[in-house]
Amino acid sequence: MQWNPNPIRILAGITIASAPLYAHAKIYISVDQAQKLIFPNKQFTKYPVVLTKDIQDKMHSASSVSHPFKSDRTWKASDGSWFIVDEVVGKHEMITYAVGISSIGTVQSIEIMEYVESYGYEVAEEVWRKQFIGKSADDAIKLKKDIQNISGATLSCKHLTDGVKRIMVMYDLALKPKAK
Amino acid sequence: MIRCKPLLGTYVEISAEIGSINMTSFELDEVINTSFSAIKLVQDLMGFHHPDSELSKINTLAHKEVLEIHPWTFEVLRIAKEIHKASLGMFDCGVGSRLVEAGLLPNHQRASTQAWGGLADLILEEPNLVNSMRPIQIDLGGIAKGFAVDKAVEILKSTAIQSGLVNAGGDMRVFGTQAQEIQVRSPSNPNDLIFIGLLQDGAVASTSLYYCDATKSRSRSPIVNPMTMEQIEFTESYSVVAPKCIYADALTKVLTITKNSTHPCFAEFSAHAIRI
Repeated sequence: MQWNPNPIRILAGITIASAPLYAHAKIYISVDQAQKLIFPNKQFTKYPVVLTKDIQDKMHSASSVSHPFKSDRTWKASDGSWFIVDEVVGKHEMITYAVGISSIGTVQSIEIMEYVESYGYEVAEEVWRKQFIGKSADDAIKLKKDIQNISGATLSCKHLTDGVKRIMVMYDLALKPKAK
Repeated sequence: MIRCKPLLGTYVEISAEIGSINMTSFELDEVINTSFSAIKLVQDLMGFHHPDSELSKINTLAHKEVLEIHPWTFEVLRIAKEIHKASLGMFDCGVGSRLVEAGLLPNHQRASTQAWGGLADLILEEPNLVNSMRPIQIDLGGIAKGFAVDKAVEILKSTAIQSGLVNAGGDMRVFGTQAQEIQVRSPSNPNDLIFIGLLQDGAVASTSLYYCDATKSRSRSPIVNPMTMEQIEFTESYSVVAPKCIYADALTKVLTITKNSTHPCFAEFSAHAIRI
């Protein structure tokens, strides 16, 4: 191990913070990459789902996730597997992720695609979130991406767990093949 | 290539640079998948939350019989006892009962209050045998994450991958020929990042309370002083740099509890303590 502490911080004995970041963001993988990682050899076709008000209510009550599900980010393979992209918004973070559901209705795998963080209430505000939607790795506007190695308190992934729960409820109610 | 998955109750990032070596993207995906699987195995073995984990079995049965356990669980318990001894008892994962009482961990045993033992009561015997002199509620939340990071890094390093990083919700380890900049969140404003130094082939872990829900009346602090069995509140951030992440992770608890960045156990494990 080689460790070279920041001399300024050590000498001054005070904390030297970098310029405040508006939002720290990480873009891990694209939709295509996520699909290939979760289902390496399967072909998927976009398959938008229509959710009735009743199904949406059940998804909400089973998962406590309240923001609307965007039903145009669902894909289906010929064997009945599904590939779904969704977002979760927590107090500190907004996460776009992909979940694969196998042909027998179990979670195949989950990949985080994008992570945007902020502190306070802004992240839950629709206006705040909208500015990031559709941004790619090439858009540096207001996204600080070059800082990679942040050590800190552990952020719980509870919101993501709730998000996956909501998708599995949707699968049960709307996507699963009907029993004959 | 950098990927991220929800594991160990947080977000785990694995990054790997293949540089000039001959490795297809498919092979790289496979190596990273194997690394994630190692972390998943640590989660399945050592999770307090899972009633069927090996740790839950130890907590239920180790005071009644000798149990044969997975070598990885044995290794984590062995190092836990080593740090327990070096820190003069300031590190003790026998504090699970307090965290259950505080509602931060689930109560699987439904046992009434009793005199719980600690790490000192745990007896380890090669190969991979464990038992306890008293009933215990071991929580490996303060050490297993670091161990999982080490296991994932070992897998990456065993291939031709030239440099990389595994970061389990802030507990991380880097390897490779390049030193990497390490930032720590400012505890007073976690959006501010503080550059603490350059690290090559080493690990860093941090503890702070800025993600805890301060609106609750009960303490949400996951740090318990084993001497008093009280949860401790603090406003600072505590980080430890060490050659391996398991030591960095566990030693942050010693720093948080003692507030002593020159505690002899840091030097014993070639670690450096940082208070912010």
